[in-house]
Parts: sequence; structure tokens; C-alpha cells
Amino acid sequence: MPGIDECLLEAMALPGARGASLVDWTSGLALGTAGDSPTGDHETTAAETAELARAAAEFDSFTTTGETSGAIPGDSPPVEDLIVTTRAGFHVLRFVQTSFDSSVFLHLWLDRDSGNLALARLRLRDLAERLVLG
Amino acid sequence: MSAVATPVSPMLVRLAAEKATGALLRDHGTLYLVDGRVVHAESPAAPGVDVLLTTGGRLPREGWDEAVDRAGAHRAVGRFLVDSGRLHDGELEICHLGAVFDAAFFALSPTSGPTRFRYGVGHWFGTVRPVSAEAVERETVRRRELLDAVWPYASVDTAPVVPRPAAPGQSVGVRQRALLAAADGRRTPAELARLLGRPAFHTLLDVRRLAAAGLVRTPLEPEPEPESVPPAPALFPAPPVTDPDIALLRRLRDALEAHL
Repeated sequence: MPGIDECLLEAMALPGARGASLVDWTSGLALGTAGDSPTGDHETTAAETAELARAAAEFDSFTTTGETSGAIPGDSPPVEDLIVTTRAGFHVLRFVQTSFDSSVFLHLWLDRDSGNLALARLRLRDLAERLVLG
Repeated sequence: MSAVATPVSPMLVRLAAEKATGALLRDHGTLYLVDGRVVHAESPAAPGVDVLLTTGGRLPREGWDEAVDRAGAHRAVGRFLVDSGRLHDGELEICHLGAVFDAAFFALSPTSGPTRFRYGVGHWFGTVRPVSAEAVERETVRRRELLDAVWPYASVDTAPVVPRPAAPGQSVGVRQRALLAAADGRRTPAELARLLGRPAFHTLLDVRRLAAAGLVRTPLEPEPEPESVPPAPALFPAPPVTDPDIALLRRLRDALEAHL
């Protein structure tokens, strides 16, 4: 697979997909975008979703297992994805794990009526893996 | 979003409009253009792709060196890393784009020095994913505003990072914990970025966030140049203090910093 654009195009092929992007959650930079953005501006959406992703990735409540007292050791980021449901749509933010230091996630925006959240979540997991593992 | 109101580099705007190919040299870094689009950037302030990839162990240093040896002359090092199976397309793009926007932020920082353009000059890394010059300008402006929105004290950007104790119950994210753990009171944000294999802007931003949270000291004014520090007068040694009231001094410092 393919690079960022192919990955976003595959995400856009999902039923009900309205917009997709790859975002760096430390800086709020959109590394790639496809389709529409809820705000009409992909850069604004990237900066906003990055704040949400950063909070989830850094707060102890989400990064501890509940069984042990500390954060999960090792490289795998403890938070896998975030789902925000609005009246009109679904947003799935899937963290991408790279073997160098980075902080990126895939954001997929789905129409509430035609989108399939369960399917989108599984496909996004697969896409996030193939983006960096080939 | 519309065009940038006040361009960070009028020359870059002009070169993009004329679809120029070459290297834009500024005080703090260089932008490489192909047909008016930014294909690469480097700055002494920002870790290069090699540092980002080798620090975390993603790529052995020998693998990088070999790629440069074999593909540097054809300006296709990035392509070679993928074609030889050392890296996947997505990884290369994520890492390279991050490095380009990072270096461009510093290369386009305000400067009084000259800006020159050398037509036809390319970079040996080669083209990965060209970005419009306008997007690079806009992101650079956004990053400047973001830093000041987080904590408007630029003195923390260049000073050694000095951690401060967390307040009871105050939590720190995993990435920021790693940053604090590496801050030995002497390393600057740029040095920490290199050590951790992270983009320099990301490190600046995290340092400003930590400073805003009171977890990193904010110097009252920019650190003086080492050369300009007058030597301590040898004739009047400080009298030995036998019983410094640390708690009082800390409260004083906190009160002073609260009035920054």
C-alpha cells in the first residue's frame, strides 16, 4: 500500500463517507485530506480534532489499563480510536502507530444515515495498519 | 482559506507564482522548490529525516548512509528507501512531510538577513510529496500564532529546559513525561528534539504547554549570550549562606512568576 492519498481515497470509498484526513495531533497539521470538512475548511477541522485526540492520548484515564497503576509500557499507543456521534454524523479518529516518533491519526467523517459505524471502525483500523506496514 | 494576508516571504510567493525550481536560501534554513511547489526544506534548528528515522531505531544508521550513497547522486534517496524495502510509502510520507513543515517553520522565521534564490538547485533527498508554497506559508503563520496562544513567552524556546515540580494531582501526558525526563536543566528545546528524534516545532510547542502549566521554568527575559556574561568578580566572593529558607524563596519565586 500506498501512501497517504491512496489511504484517504480508500477511506472515502466507505458507505456514507463525507471527508477523511490524516492529522498530526501535536501540531494540528493536516498531512493529507480528501472529500469535505464539517467546517468547510480542512485545516480548521484538523486543528480542532487534533486537540481532541491529544487529550485522549495524554490523559491518564485513557492511557492506563485499570489493572496496573501505571501507563502501559511498550510502544503501542494505549488509545486505539475515538468516536464522536453528532446528530448528523459520525467521526472516527484512529491513531496510527509508527515505529519512529510521531503523533498522527486518521479522521473519517461519516453521514449519520448512510454511514456504517462498525464497518468504518474496522476498515479504519486496517487502513491505519497498512499505511505504515505496507 | 484565502491567501495569507501578510506573506512570511514575498520572494516565496513570487517564486511559487512563476513556478520556479531551485533553492530559497534564508538565514535559518533553505526551501527547495520544484515548479513552484515545496518539495524539501532543511534548517539547522530542525532534526532532519535521518535523525527522525534513526533515533527511534526505525532505520539503522548504516541503512540511511547506504541509501544516501547509492541514490543521493540521482536525487532519489526517499524513493530508494521505499524501493529497497527499508521503509513503507506511508511512513516515508508521514516522516518527510513532518520534517518539511518543521524545517520550513524555522527557515521562514523573521529575519533581517538576505534571501537568495538559486535557480535549478535541487536536494539529494528527492521529491516525495510536494506541498504548495501557500500551504507552507499558511502553516508557518498558524504555528507562530499557536505558540503565542499557548504561552506568549518566546524566552522558553531557546533557554535550557528546567523542569519544575508538578502540583499535587497535576498530570502530565506520556510524550511530555518523556520530554521532562530528558530535560537535565542544560538542554535546550532544539537539543531535546534531536535527542528524542522529534520535530523541533513539536518540542517547542510541548515546552510552551509545559511552561504554561507551570511544569517548566519560564525565564524572565531571553537568556543572555554566553560571551556577553561578565565574569564573576573574584574580589568579592559571596558570603557562605548557612541556612537558606528554601520554602520562602520558592514562594517568592512563584509569586514573582505569577505576575509575569
